[in-house]
Amino acid sequence: MRKLKIKRYIDNSNVSRFRFWIQIISFFIFVYGGYFFIEIASRLPIFSCPYVQGSPGGCYLIGVQHELNTTWESMLSFRGLGILTSLGIFLLFFIFLNKAWCGFVCPLGTLQDWITKLRKFLGFSFTRYDEMSFKRLKSIKYILLVLLILIPLGIRNSFFGIHVPHGMHTPFCQICPARIILPLFTGDTSQIFIDFTDTTTIIMTSLGMMIAALFLVGSFVKKRFFCFFCPMSALQYIFSKISLLRMTKDGDKCTRCGNCYRVCDVGIREIADDIISKNIVKDDCMLCVKCVEACPEDDCLKISFAGMPIFNASQEGFFKRYTGSSLTEYIKSIEPNKENENESK
Amino acid sequence: MKVNKDRYERMKKTGSIHYAMEIKKNLAEITDDFPDNPQSMEYFYKRFEEYTIGNLHEGKKVIASMCVHVPLELIYATGGTPVRICAGAYATDQIGAEFLPAKTCPMVKSTLGAVYLDILPGNIKPELIVNPTTCDQKKKMGEIADEIDKPFFTLEVPPTKDSEEARQYWNRVVKKFVKKLEQTTGTKLTRRRLKKAIKTVAKAQAVYRRFDQIRRSAPVIYGKDAILVTNSYFFDDIENWTIQVEKLNQELEERIKNKQTVGKANSPRILLTGSPSIFPNMKLPLLIEKLGGIVVNEEFCSTSRMIWDTVAVDEWFLYDMVPAVADRYLKPSTCPNFTPNTDRERKLLRDIKDFQVDGVIYQTFTGCQLYDMESRRIGKILEDNGTQTLYIESDYNPDDFGQLTTRLEAFLDSLKNKK
Repeated sequence: MRKLKIKRYIDNSNVSRFRFWIQIISFFIFVYGGYFFIEIASRLPIFSCPYVQGSPGGCYLIGVQHELNTTWESMLSFRGLGILTSLGIFLLFFIFLNKAWCGFVCPLGTLQDWITKLRKFLGFSFTRYDEMSFKRLKSIKYILLVLLILIPLGIRNSFFGIHVPHGMHTPFCQICPARIILPLFTGDTSQIFIDFTDTTTIIMTSLGMMIAALFLVGSFVKKRFFCFFCPMSALQYIFSKISLLRMTKDGDKCTRCGNCYRVCDVGIREIADDIISKNIVKDDCMLCVKCVEACPEDDCLKISFAGMPIFNASQEGFFKRYTGSSLTEYIKSIEPNKENENESK
Repeated sequence: MKVNKDRYERMKKTGSIHYAMEIKKNLAEITDDFPDNPQSMEYFYKRFEEYTIGNLHEGKKVIASMCVHVPLELIYATGGTPVRICAGAYATDQIGAEFLPAKTCPMVKSTLGAVYLDILPGNIKPELIVNPTTCDQKKKMGEIADEIDKPFFTLEVPPTKDSEEARQYWNRVVKKFVKKLEQTTGTKLTRRRLKKAIKTVAKAQAVYRRFDQIRRSAPVIYGKDAILVTNSYFFDDIENWTIQVEKLNQELEERIKNKQTVGKANSPRILLTGSPSIFPNMKLPLLIEKLGGIVVNEEFCSTSRMIWDTVAVDEWFLYDMVPAVADRYLKPSTCPNFTPNTDRERKLLRDIKDFQVDGVIYQTFTGCQLYDMESRRIGKILEDNGTQTLYIESDYNPDDFGQLTTRLEAFLDSLKNKK
């Protein structure tokens, strides 16, 4: 059975290079797009931060924090419908790209990949969480997600008599490194400040500054450092199963060689060890497709959109990407040398 | 263990003669008893002719290895030339029996005998002999080798491959191995050299995978020839090997086009598994194919398990390349010394499907506990899969020829009748 020519071309292609350019383009759109009158939407599943002056849209997390800063009563009115519409818009975007929003589009993700490139350029090694820490730290993103929903609700409502101070509005934005770092790309340093309005704001903004610093250091030593804690990633994962873009694994074809785990920026072990699950998109996954590129077994890992195969793992593609040339080219390049060598014997 | 010099010389003399005779005889059986061998196989036959007389890798620093767990890329990258010395000769098996109990695995005995008498493939003079601790017999062999002053290096292979602890342990062992290699060859491991080594090996893997693909699609080559191809990967110059296998591939593809197949239409397609058939011990594949079967695939550590799996690197620096190479020699291995070893079951089932296998022949060497112990479980799984399996216990002694023929004939007939 011969593969279609176009399919073979795609399976042999270097998606990481394609991704590199898509990330650059997306970064420019989501940081400077506004200056070119680009408007996208305000409920995007990425850190398209409205604090950036040139931002063409908004991140859904800021939306949801504003929306939930309301009383229970008004949530049952038309406002509740608004909250649902806003979630719907988020899902409408999300459903197309699944977690590839993180791997291909999110400007904060891209920035971390660039920091990784800088580290590689300087020749420093990366670090990885060991198995225990990985499991322990994994839940942080869910805790952040729950908090960023509960805290705004707690401002207007009371939970067992406790009222959250107003200074805690949009709590996640206050600690989000995107708010502080992304505006710097438009020359805007105004987000580097500590708000001395009251104790709450002092604590929150200083925390934000600290996290931003941690972001820079962390992503220098660890690939996609922040994504591991990102509540957007947690929120996306809840809806990941309904997305049209899917990554599946055929466990029967897997030799568990671990190539996929080795190249995984976020260190997902299941990609190599799980031979039972079909849907292999895990909560930390960002669908960067590096694992599919590194898989040398035909059709073991597959990316599909609405059931249509887009990019499959293939032997031929693997060897082409990893050795930089086709077999025939290689043989041609070594054959003359070898013949001379053998003759001189 | 010291024997007196005269006795050693005598042993060496007679051992070498028997060894050379055995190789000549077995090679003749492989080449002459079959019609229409592929032209490109000549190169490989020639390699084995030179087995006893050649001066392989003269002037190079040869690092001898055993098993599939020795990272070849690291040897290449530190300026060494790897040669795998797992032996299949009955002549050296008898020498090895001087040191080890009679019921020891013949491959271990044979290898030890060959090391003791210095009659290694192509008369190599290894600077280092890397001995992975993949079974108890290998471990004890290492101790004996120390006694007879051979430059053995014990490569500690963990007993499991699934846990993170085993992986980290193995990573450290490999790092230590790099140090040892650097000391032995006097060449430092560098980023560029390792990158080149990884790519060179990957090319050999790519060409082997194509060879495998051809064997899946049509029976154009006998298993006995295929085993020689993979066997020569043990000692051949890797670039030469790649070129020659590519030539063979092209010839075989021609054969597919011309529908020039080996065997008959109803020849049962056999998968061999268990203890490895290593040249010159080609007893089993030769018998099977003389009796009308075709060996389409071998799940041996001397064949696909050795070459198939690849190294993937994320960042092309030593800090990522060395662990990547280490992982490749641990994670995908289906060696029965690992527990659990479910990957072997899965691999067998996959191969049976992909190669349209009619029957499996499970070979266990006398004294090879690991394969023996796995045979029952694997047999059960194959039975559930509806695959007929023949279990054979054998060693390097040619005496069981008659008994084997009877059993194989019956097995192959029953497969033929089913077809």
